[in-house]
Amino acid sequence: MDMFPLWLSLRVALTATALTLVIGIPVALLLARRRFPGKNVLEAAVVLPLVLPPTVLGYYLLLVIGSRGPVGRALAALGLELAFTWGAAVLAACVGSIALVIKSAQAGFEGVDRQLEQAARTLGRSEWSVFWSVTLPLAWRAVLAGGVLAFCRALGEFGITLMVAGNIPGRTQTLPLAIYDRVQGAQMGEANALALIAVAVVVVLLFGLSRVARLRY
Amino acid sequence: MVSVEIVKRYPGFTLDVRWTAEKSVVGLFGPSGAGKTLTLQCLAGLIRPDAGRIVVGDRVFFDADASIALSPQARRIGYVFQGYALFPHLTVEENVGFGLRDRSRGERARRSAEVIERLGLVGLARRYPRELSGGQRQRVALGRALAIDPALLLLDEPLSALDAPLRRTLRDELRETLTGWGTPAVVVTHDFTEAYRLADRIVVYESGRVIQSAPRAELLWQPASEAVARIMGLRNVLRGTVVKATPERIQLSWRGQTLEAVNSPTRSYLPPPMSPIAFFIRPEYVRLIRKDRGTPDPQHHMNLMSGRLVGEADFGTVWTLRLRLDAPGEPAQGDFDLEVEVPHLVYEILEIERDRHWQLSIHRGSIHVLPA
Repeated sequence: MDMFPLWLSLRVALTATALTLVIGIPVALLLARRRFPGKNVLEAAVVLPLVLPPTVLGYYLLLVIGSRGPVGRALAALGLELAFTWGAAVLAACVGSIALVIKSAQAGFEGVDRQLEQAARTLGRSEWSVFWSVTLPLAWRAVLAGGVLAFCRALGEFGITLMVAGNIPGRTQTLPLAIYDRVQGAQMGEANALALIAVAVVVVLLFGLSRVARLRY
Repeated sequence: MVSVEIVKRYPGFTLDVRWTAEKSVVGLFGPSGAGKTLTLQCLAGLIRPDAGRIVVGDRVFFDADASIALSPQARRIGYVFQGYALFPHLTVEENVGFGLRDRSRGERARRSAEVIERLGLVGLARRYPRELSGGQRQRVALGRALAIDPALLLLDEPLSALDAPLRRTLRDELRETLTGWGTPAVVVTHDFTEAYRLADRIVVYESGRVIQSAPRAELLWQPASEAVARIMGLRNVLRGTVVKATPERIQLSWRGQTLEAVNSPTRSYLPPPMSPIAFFIRPEYVRLIRKDRGTPDPQHHMNLMSGRLVGEADFGTVWTLRLRLDAPGEPAQGDFDLEVEVPHLVYEILEIERDRHWQLSIHRGSIHVLPA
């Protein structure tokens, strides 16, 4: 059986999760700690990918990164191509899952008593140090939970990926696309095996998360 | 020396205070919502005032005109938050050493150990805050703030998180720590006894303003105004009319009686006749006159009055009696005129339980005039 879809999906989901954490954590911190004009708009924009139909999201993304889209043309000028590559699958997974990281981390940061951060400041710690030694250690469970959820969501991403990365076997065919493909081709045995693998990966991850979350700090 | 001058405006509330204190412990005292904590936050640099100037020792922390506003990190202020704000994910040792990050590892360990030892926390160094009692938490919070050798120590309601019996013990312990370390400190409290026990100078706050700033003994015996007396929780704060005022004595009329009071120690308060005047009488300084020693002599018994008991409450060691004067007219404080406090023994000897009508006298030195 061809295992390429599994490895591709894991690679895409891992890369996407790393990216969503790097981008999502600062955004979550911003939403949890600062007041600024346009905050409501940002909050709404964050939730949008969760509620819009994936194909709609994919369609708009394709308009942006496609060969005639602004980003697509800029990349083409550099000799790069994003649409219908595994990079586009990563982008699709990021868009589909970043809201989970942001909302979860935001709730975690909001749960950290501001007075603890102020105490750290009066004790001479810089903003950077306050984040790494107080805010994050007290909110890491929520951040981790967001990361795991995002990983699972990225692993299962279907609609956006299909629109922007296509369903090219051996190149952009991820696990969910492969399952769809096998079912269409009436290869029920392979579809079954791939589906079971997907379930196993997610169950193991969620079980691990619940174990870790019971730890204190 | 601490010199504070702060204006900070919010919708519906303005903090506009100014006070100074020599090297010692200052108590900010007043009802909640008066701006005491806000003052601490401005001192620590956590909130930026709209105008004013804050100087601690020889360092200018804030000066609106000169555009100086040091960051909290640069101020080196030890802040003991209400509820302590200990880092729950760090041990006692790590909490105490948290502010020593810029020192070498060896120096950090040495200083933490020294503070832990001095505050009696040895043996608890590896515990987490949730494993400590209220009193131990307070000491860790103090230790964490004192470890950085602060230029000024700020304490926000340091005892409010504790229950009553522990409160008294820790109040005295805290006083010793403050004197022992000799760090100038500002303590916020809404409890007058606490302010009196902890502070050398007390600054009284009311809705964003300072209404008196005085050494604690002076405040206790000479509240500057009726507002201060009420915030201090003094009982029998009353209002009468001036009959005659001289630098030594003030004669005033109240509830149909003419009372004689000693003028305020400054002797400078000379209100014109007929003007309203506020004064207070400490309930423990009202004397009930024994009936088995003959008729009272007005020469000997100053400010002689008579009245009937309309209420009483047992406080364990003392009784509080509520007396309504025989004079016609509305009583001064709801259904009574004066609160009188007598020890249990006196209550029994005088058989107050049986005998409800009394003559009483108040020495003129015990009627305290409150300048307007």
